[in-house]
Amino acid sequence: MKTELLRARSGRQRRRAATRGASGTPAGQRARQWIAGIAGQVVAFAALALAACTGLPGQPDPAARPIRPADVKDVNVLYAGNCAGCHGAEGKLGAARPLADGLYWHVVRDADVRDVVTRGIEGTEMPAFAMSEGGALTDTQIDLLVTGLRARWQGTPLANRGLPAWSVGSAPAGDLGATQRGAAVFAARCALCHGATGEGGLAPGSLVDPSYLALVSDQALRSAVIFGRTDLGMPDYRGGRGETPLTNGEISDVVAWLGSHRVASPRWPATPQRANPAREEKP
Amino acid sequence: MASNDDDTHVPGGATGTPGRLGRLGAWLDARLRFSEQIWPELAHHVPRSSASFWYVFGSATLLCFVLQLVTGICLSLVYSPSAAEAWASLEWLTYREPTGWFLRALHYWGSNFMVALMTIHVVQVFFFGAYKYPRELTWVVGCFLFLLTLAMAFTGQVMRFDQDAYWGLGIGAAIAGRFPFVGAIVVDLMLGGPIIAAETLSRFFTLHVFVVPALLLALVALHLWLVLKVGINEWPMPGRLVTRERYLEEYHQLVAEDGEPFVPDGVQKDLVFSGLVMVALVTCAAVLGPSGPNGEPDPTLINTLPRPDFWFLPLFAAFALLPAYMETALMLAAPPVLFLLAVALPFYSGTGEKSWKVRPGAWILVVTVFVTLGTLAWLGIRSPWSPQMDAWSATPTPVEMVRGRTPLQLQGALIVQSRQCRNCHALGGAGGQRGPALDDVATRLTRDQLIRQVIQGDGDMPAYGKNLLPAEVDALVAFLVTLHPANEPPARDAATLGPGVAGAAR
Repeated sequence: MKTELLRARSGRQRRRAATRGASGTPAGQRARQWIAGIAGQVVAFAALALAACTGLPGQPDPAARPIRPADVKDVNVLYAGNCAGCHGAEGKLGAARPLADGLYWHVVRDADVRDVVTRGIEGTEMPAFAMSEGGALTDTQIDLLVTGLRARWQGTPLANRGLPAWSVGSAPAGDLGATQRGAAVFAARCALCHGATGEGGLAPGSLVDPSYLALVSDQALRSAVIFGRTDLGMPDYRGGRGETPLTNGEISDVVAWLGSHRVASPRWPATPQRANPAREEKP
Repeated sequence: MASNDDDTHVPGGATGTPGRLGRLGAWLDARLRFSEQIWPELAHHVPRSSASFWYVFGSATLLCFVLQLVTGICLSLVYSPSAAEAWASLEWLTYREPTGWFLRALHYWGSNFMVALMTIHVVQVFFFGAYKYPRELTWVVGCFLFLLTLAMAFTGQVMRFDQDAYWGLGIGAAIAGRFPFVGAIVVDLMLGGPIIAAETLSRFFTLHVFVVPALLLALVALHLWLVLKVGINEWPMPGRLVTRERYLEEYHQLVAEDGEPFVPDGVQKDLVFSGLVMVALVTCAAVLGPSGPNGEPDPTLINTLPRPDFWFLPLFAAFALLPAYMETALMLAAPPVLFLLAVALPFYSGTGEKSWKVRPGAWILVVTVFVTLGTLAWLGIRSPWSPQMDAWSATPTPVEMVRGRTPLQLQGALIVQSRQCRNCHALGGAGGQRGPALDDVATRLTRDQLIRQVIQGDGDMPAYGKNLLPAEVDALVAFLVTLHPANEPPARDAATLGPGVAGAAR
């Protein structure tokens, strides 16, 4: 008995050993206690399981369940996932034109926007988004986007005044009259910022760069003149304070003048041709 | 009906007059004779030193297994093991069926707990030298239990038939397909065809619900039988060496001198710990909920980041990081070799010191293994293995990279988005991480190098010369050369000490 007490590793075991030695509790009673303990555990487990019917923090929220991209119906989610990359998180200050622009939504009709989203704009970086065109959006989603973004950004209705036409079709190429009139309009209305030749001034960078012009369609140029980039400081077709708005014809003429700087096929960007004197001296 | 004489067979002997239930028990026992056969086994004496909280992990693993059986049976009442319906039935279970989510959570956390407790059990057995003579077979059976539990975990992950399951299965099949000569046959057997299709889920359901659990039950029984017959390992003491000649004698002497009955004394701490595990398990399930199902297992939905469940993350990361030339050899050879080394442990280290206190090699091994596994698991969680497929349309160009740019540069910024450069290259901390971030790319590459990189590609980067018009490359590079911090100039050409001819002109 003494050695057993000494060997027991914990005080509790020592006490237990002593108790056993003293009273010799029948094992059966303790066995019943264990059985009761196990039963208690099972009951507690079942009770907790039943409590799960009511809202516990682990209960998955049906609203957060994964849904197929084609089933997304929330306009803001659609915009953030498909448009924000180029048009900006808040519809402005993106690489592409701002859409948080009331004027844009007043000039452009739903059918136009739907068409642009569905098929993209040829000659620009705007891709086609409709599944029928190889994109990722269903026609329903595109309709939701058009109406939803209009509701989000159209703003208060503008006063009844002559808005310019968004699209006039492509102007006849090489219309010298339009080009000359456009040069005059540019000199009067654009040169202050973009420089007399269009190669930059207060506003950085050239508008007549062959690479730039190769990447923007006439329609894109027309949109740029009509809507400006008010988020980056360029005014819309109405110009600055005290200026008269550009007319439909003037807009077309400026676009014609800009377009006249296009070159047939812009070359690859130049890499330096290092002079190798030894080679050049050879006959 | 029952005669009072039979009461003597009730465990522990009844005190006082037996109730109605007691009489029923006695009646049954008089015929089944359980108390004669099983009670002596349960009450067999074990070393008192083994009644320690270090010895509770095996029984806790067993508890998890039993819980998995119960919750698994409940789940299988609703789950539909067909590729077409599995995901929908999981959705139903998770969102519609009352307590369905809780059952799924219990089953998921039960598997987590089971793997974790089993791992602790193995480490404890290893540290306490419990695998040594005469418990070699217990260890070997335990190793196979470990393997089968991992098989349950893998097949269970497939039961959660979502995107992770789909791609996890794809990885598993790709590994199986590497077997020389028989690869195609193995994949065919595993998937029920060359690809993940209608039969695949049925096969894994059969494995998860019939084959592996049956094997587990059989081996668990064998494991327990061995524990009962060979006896629980005594508390290891430094200096008390195991020898084949004297160990059994010493053990029996120890049990006789300082033993206690397993039931009810020895099992005490097991029950306490099991209760704690149950509470922790229910709490995890109630608070953290089930895992997934995440997106539908549709391989056309590419915007997914499939990762295996936790215990396979180290393997997942290791396989991803292997150089291509050693992939097949290591994937196929390393796991069996390591497993055989583990199985054979008691045969090359079967005697001698048991105590972890005097076995530094054991410490080095365990620490090395766990640091390695932990590091790989961390890499498995954190590493951006795949491009971010929606970055081009969902992560806006940082505003400061839009302001003050020329029209051509803005076109270039647009190309970075629309041509999906962002899927692999981050800007402003957002975007894919397959390639380097481009925030200060101009300090690393001159304009000429950028043109070459875009047109010809390099290493993992594809060549875009055929996919971009000359004007587009011009615009793209015009934008990229602006990407440098204000206080750090763009890179200069080492030969001309200039930014490149065209760059100077612009």
